[in-house]
Amino acid sequence: MISIEDKALLRWCIEKILSQGADAARVTLNRSVEELVATLDGEVDKVTRCEDSSLSLEVFVEGKFGSFSTNRTQRESLERFIRKAVAMARTMEPDPLRHLPERGRKAADALTGLEAGLYDTAQEDVTPAQRVENALKAAAWGRYGAAEGMTVLSEEGEYSDSCNDNLVMDSEGLECCHTETSFDYGVEITVADAGGRKYSGYAWDSSSRRDGLDAAACGRRALERACARKDSAALPGGKYTMVVDSEVAGKLVTPLLSALSGYSLQQGNSFLDGSLGQQVFAEGMTLVDLPREKGLQGAKYFDSEGVATRNLPIIENGKVKLYFLNTYMAGKMGMEPTIEGATKVKMMPWPQSGPEQARDRAALLRRCRSGILVTDFNGGNCNPATGDFSYGIEGFLFEDGELVRPVDGMLITGNMKTLWQHFFAAADDARRCLSKLIPTLAFSSVDFSGE
Amino acid sequence: MSNNTFGIRMEDLQALVAEGLSGGGDWCDLFFEYSAYTSLMLRDGIVSSGGSHEDYGCGIRVLKGEKTGYAYAESTDMKALRKAARAAAGIAGGGSGAACGTPHRVECPNRLYPAGTDWREFESAAAIPWLQRIESEIRRRESRTLKVIASFSCDMSEVLMFNSLGELTEDLRPMGSLAVTAIFSNGKKVINNNASRSYRAGAEMLGDAVVQDLADEVVRGIDEAFEARRPKGGKMSVVMGAGASGILLHEAMGHAFEADFNRKGQSVFSGRMGQKICRSGINIVDDACLPFNRGACNFDDEGVPGQKTYMVTDGVLTSFLHDRISAKYYGVAPTGNGRRESFRYNPIPRMRATYMENGSDGSVEDLIASVRKGIFVDRFSNGQVKIGEGDFTFFVKSGRLIEDGRLTAPVSDINIIGNGPKALADIRAVASDLKIDESQWTCGKEQSAPVSCGIPSVLVENLTVGGGQ
Repeated sequence: MISIEDKALLRWCIEKILSQGADAARVTLNRSVEELVATLDGEVDKVTRCEDSSLSLEVFVEGKFGSFSTNRTQRESLERFIRKAVAMARTMEPDPLRHLPERGRKAADALTGLEAGLYDTAQEDVTPAQRVENALKAAAWGRYGAAEGMTVLSEEGEYSDSCNDNLVMDSEGLECCHTETSFDYGVEITVADAGGRKYSGYAWDSSSRRDGLDAAACGRRALERACARKDSAALPGGKYTMVVDSEVAGKLVTPLLSALSGYSLQQGNSFLDGSLGQQVFAEGMTLVDLPREKGLQGAKYFDSEGVATRNLPIIENGKVKLYFLNTYMAGKMGMEPTIEGATKVKMMPWPQSGPEQARDRAALLRRCRSGILVTDFNGGNCNPATGDFSYGIEGFLFEDGELVRPVDGMLITGNMKTLWQHFFAAADDARRCLSKLIPTLAFSSVDFSGE
Repeated sequence: MSNNTFGIRMEDLQALVAEGLSGGGDWCDLFFEYSAYTSLMLRDGIVSSGGSHEDYGCGIRVLKGEKTGYAYAESTDMKALRKAARAAAGIAGGGSGAACGTPHRVECPNRLYPAGTDWREFESAAAIPWLQRIESEIRRRESRTLKVIASFSCDMSEVLMFNSLGELTEDLRPMGSLAVTAIFSNGKKVINNNASRSYRAGAEMLGDAVVQDLADEVVRGIDEAFEARRPKGGKMSVVMGAGASGILLHEAMGHAFEADFNRKGQSVFSGRMGQKICRSGINIVDDACLPFNRGACNFDDEGVPGQKTYMVTDGVLTSFLHDRISAKYYGVAPTGNGRRESFRYNPIPRMRATYMENGSDGSVEDLIASVRKGIFVDRFSNGQVKIGEGDFTFFVKSGRLIEDGRLTAPVSDINIIGNGPKALADIRAVASDLKIDESQWTCGKEQSAPVSCGIPSVLVENLTVGGGQ
């Protein structure tokens, strides 16, 4: 938790920066403690303790700007560091657009760090023995057998709990705190079939609350996923209906968020340049940012400039409603600043009611009848300027709404705008612990390359 | 000790190792690191942002068999270090531990990156004209330039390692990098291109040669890029141009040769040591000893001297890439591949500079001439691999179709997918034009690590290329 001493240290840093002749300053303290227990084949393999603390200084001096960080937080070494930092900032070229955000935009309601409701005091009480127990009891090794004809080769699991503190202060009196605990478990299982061909499966869970972590089911789920890959193969290339599982669907949203960032737009390196207010995507596509949903993992009341976040639509019924513009980028583009980036995006279900509504993946597969279900991506990229993408995929062929056989070694290729114009349904099954709340999605006429 | 950056004495090192071994551990090592990093960025014609970052601390690792206890302190105060040593010692679970050996210095067998001008003495403002020069050289070459973002970074890490054998090693690791992204428009279409250079070298790396080199590369193939289209996707022959195509080795083979994956039975190459895995005449190495190369290591992060490791010799799998844990497990000497992102991480087997040695199948033109239908690729942005399955992908920024032995229409933004062992077996020809790529490659296996790659032009059959249908 952020202490009075932490705030006093940051105030002292700001005073020192200003005493070197700076016009303004913003100082950020990030601190974290993490305890981790990794297992290999049902036994403890690694125990790690991490304790980090780092100070970031942003210096505005004579119309110039520099950003600096150090993990040496003793005042004597900090004083030396600050002196050098201000001197280096002075060597930059002047840029009148570099300044602190307007006072009225800054957050004033995140003073204790607890406002977002993501701190669980139970994290302090977890003992080393409990961490080992948590890691071991989630493992599938020795408890669940592989499917017939399959052998479990390896199981790697990892339990961790952590607490992260973030304090931002500036020379105009800004003071914002955020504290968040996290309890996490992930496991990867490798199996082999009778011919020695290997397959892997992964499962994980995460919660900001100790009693919210459901690790116990992860080992078994990873094992089932690995075994389900048996005899996977590429299908003939062609146009297929594509359903993307909620666990990985966020991959297709990331390029949209990057393209709406001021950093891309201002450089002309965005396929969504000029899209604000335009109908670019399918009408049912609504993407919102929910940074102020108290208790929702990943929620945060302020961004790195200390600007207050708001729950906002990003794309509404296919129309682009928001560019992500921090103070600097807004100045460059001659636009009003918004927020520097998305905090916790959510794709709304579509349709939201009626006979075509599909609550979960199974219902969406039934609605689509046949196509390819994508359960994982394997590499690939999206060109930020054109939106042209190509990703490796694995998943399952489905027919009459049922999974028929596993597929791998295939690629999807297309353009992001076109893909999202072909988006026609979203379930309502996004996992709350994912960084993006994206449900299972369905797209028509997607180019798959394969055999 | 040759420097006093960490304010630590030999008896402190011994005391910490003793503390680490007190729980019954059979190995303990200490990794002290002070890293100072500076960066500058040119955007819209001005260098209006820059900064410096420092990181200081010590990681303490205790091993019991293959099990690891790890903790670190962001201070070299003995109280904090003892606390970290006790936390790491907890892995051992009791009993009497090994004793610390007699302290002795391990001399550096290769001085691979003696910095001419130490970055710690470098005034960062001196890099500003070089960034401005990169932009002006690009604009001079190409009138369709819309925007240029150029960045400079330099890093100097001081490292001190001590272990329970009593071995003391020190290393001073410079790294200097320049990178540029340029946006071009012909009025109808916007395209981007990027290029970078990165070396374990001091400020002497900044100069006209590297600026011209970057400007040349970033404008190369612009006309073709404006015309580029997606090919029809499917399985086809791929001729991979010399240099950056080494990403094929990194993703498709290198990761699967890392011994931790093999020790755990996860790699597609587990249990295949000594077997023929590709055609005779193919040699694949992972080399720490290329002077000034981004992947060069005087010592790895376990204090093992850098070395050149043949993973594939004349088509036969001859070595995995080992850290100390896997080397002990396999009963072989460590290969100097135990690397880590910083003192915050325990070392794991990582690649350095991974490349294939020259073949004897002629030139790249010969390879292209032998293909009836396929593609030639020479620029890449990233790659990925699934270790168990061996399925790898890499993303191609640019290339050309091959039709009846000739290069024809330009292509761009395509992903290529294949399977490691199969792709190795499907290498049909290797040219004699080996090139080590000097771009700013960073591998992301659990932790970030600077690496490089290289390859002569090769012809690989049966890779799946993404495209329209």
